[in-house]
Amino acid sequence: MAAELSVRDVSLHFGGVNVLEKISIDITAGQVVGLVGPNGAGKTSLFNCISGHYQPSSGSILLDGIETAHAPASRMASLGLARTFQHPALRLDATVLENVMLGAHSWLPGGPMSWSLRLPATGRAEREARGEALALLDRAGLAWAANVPADELSHGLHKGVELCRALLSRPRLLLLDEPAAGLSHGEVEKFIETIRGLRIDFDLTVVIVEHHMGLISALTDRVVILDHGAKLMEGTAAEAQSDPRVVEAYLGKEVTDDESA
Amino acid sequence: MDKIFANRWLRLAALAVFAVLLIVAPLVSSRFINYQLSMIAVFAVALLGLNIVMGYTGQVSLGQSAFLGLGAYIAAYGVRNEWNLVLVLLLCAIIPAAVGMLVALAAARLRGLALAMITIALPIIGIPLARRFSEFTGGSQGTTVSFLGAPDWSGLANDQWQYYVVLTIAVVAFVLARNLVRGRVGRAFAIVKENESVALAMGVSPYRYKVLAFTISSLLGGVAGFMYLAIVQFTSPETMNFFTSINLVAAMVIGGSASIVGTILGAIYYVLVPVVAGQVNSSRTALISGAILLAVLFLLPRGLVSLPRRMSLLIGGTRRRGASPRDDQNSPDGASTADPGTPETPTAHEERQAR
Repeated sequence: MAAELSVRDVSLHFGGVNVLEKISIDITAGQVVGLVGPNGAGKTSLFNCISGHYQPSSGSILLDGIETAHAPASRMASLGLARTFQHPALRLDATVLENVMLGAHSWLPGGPMSWSLRLPATGRAEREARGEALALLDRAGLAWAANVPADELSHGLHKGVELCRALLSRPRLLLLDEPAAGLSHGEVEKFIETIRGLRIDFDLTVVIVEHHMGLISALTDRVVILDHGAKLMEGTAAEAQSDPRVVEAYLGKEVTDDESA
Repeated sequence: MDKIFANRWLRLAALAVFAVLLIVAPLVSSRFINYQLSMIAVFAVALLGLNIVMGYTGQVSLGQSAFLGLGAYIAAYGVRNEWNLVLVLLLCAIIPAAVGMLVALAAARLRGLALAMITIALPIIGIPLARRFSEFTGGSQGTTVSFLGAPDWSGLANDQWQYYVVLTIAVVAFVLARNLVRGRVGRAFAIVKENESVALAMGVSPYRYKVLAFTISSLLGGVAGFMYLAIVQFTSPETMNFFTSINLVAAMVIGGSASIVGTILGAIYYVLVPVVAGQVNSSRTALISGAILLAVLFLLPRGLVSLPRRMSLLIGGTRRRGASPRDDQNSPDGASTADPGTPETPTAHEERQAR
């Protein structure tokens, strides 16, 4: 059920700026792949192309063989794609549970008419979604927070809530944009455990954009290194860390375990 | 758990008392009070529409009065031609909804001021149109109708009967709207207001939900127009007046945006404050209304609906913090929940770091 992602020759230009230059990546079902590179390398832009937030200038993106390069972003959730953001954008005035429930949008049935009349089908589906949301929160150790307004939680917990929201959409491909940014050391450790658990319990393909090399080495099967909008290399995390080109572009200068916290 | 239950029973009890009051009130009140109560119901529905598009979905709409007027004109035309009243009410919902949707299909791509300008145009265009098509609208003089008199079997006076009719329509509108904003569609509205990128990622098309919100808003505006005609029995181009729209926006903010109860409070404010101000000093109505507006916004920036929360914060502000150790008992995994009791410092600190 995990999705297969194939990015072929994707380029992205904003005016005269080449943000991405003919990037090709193949990710087989169930893999966890890290997308690494210095700031401005184009990692998040590539993410946005995959998730439909940007339309690539050329090239194709296949999700389980379906061309999605020009599909509207709002359709991607129903194709099995979920993503998180660098800054978890939660509704701070709403409860944690309400925030997570948004994740069910793509599979909850019924339009405005049936929801305003509260037809039985909508009630059933809502209860089902609520149960699933609570189970996800419980799994993330956040069950206690379900009815707490989101603005009373810390940044680290927001990331957890956001992950639950993404998972409630029942994704087959999960894109995580800098999940460790702003987390404490302990929270990163816990996050690594969470993702490992997800791989076992959910049938998922995961792509992670991250600066935190500890996290990347611990979690990924493979990493793709981007620099200046082009693919620099592809291999295991260990290979990447010893590759001189990578060291030069990125790792040699910046990486330490607590630097990205 | 006890607290939740107590709260729920308290709410049900309050609702029951409120319902009884609404039903009994017109039987023991003067015509004047019945008229004011009916007007509150009318403007509550208009405000409900405005709140869906502005409060819940975060899209500026300054044209609600145009839909109010359109609904009133459709109702007047239907009544004069002796159409079935249920049909007239349906038309008062459908035609403004269709107009609102057409406008929104073009306007929902815009944001902020540009969107506000388009919605301002509606009453500005609506008023001369209403004057022009005088065979439908009665021109500048307006049009007077007489309908919805109390049937003999009811034993009610006309004003009481009309009150019950508009109250019924308002209750139905509020129940449907409440259901809508509490489920899938309401969450979609809220995320469109909060963050369109996240909305897209969750499978919500912001454009589609903005159009939907405008459509529902116009529909409710049209229905409020029908109700308005039922109570006032007269409408003119003045019904569409742009200042009505502005006052409705102010009333929505004062009542509480994105809140059902706030909508009702806003309608009470909208109808009663000018009356009260007029009785205090009839030559200073606007001044007194303005002072009340400023006072409410200053003391309760989230509207009248936030009064209970504000009070409880003032009285027992520290209670919630003290209650959080319960969390440790519930969660087997203490790691992330160990410090919810002191969320303040790490939150602020980490957020600064994240930036």
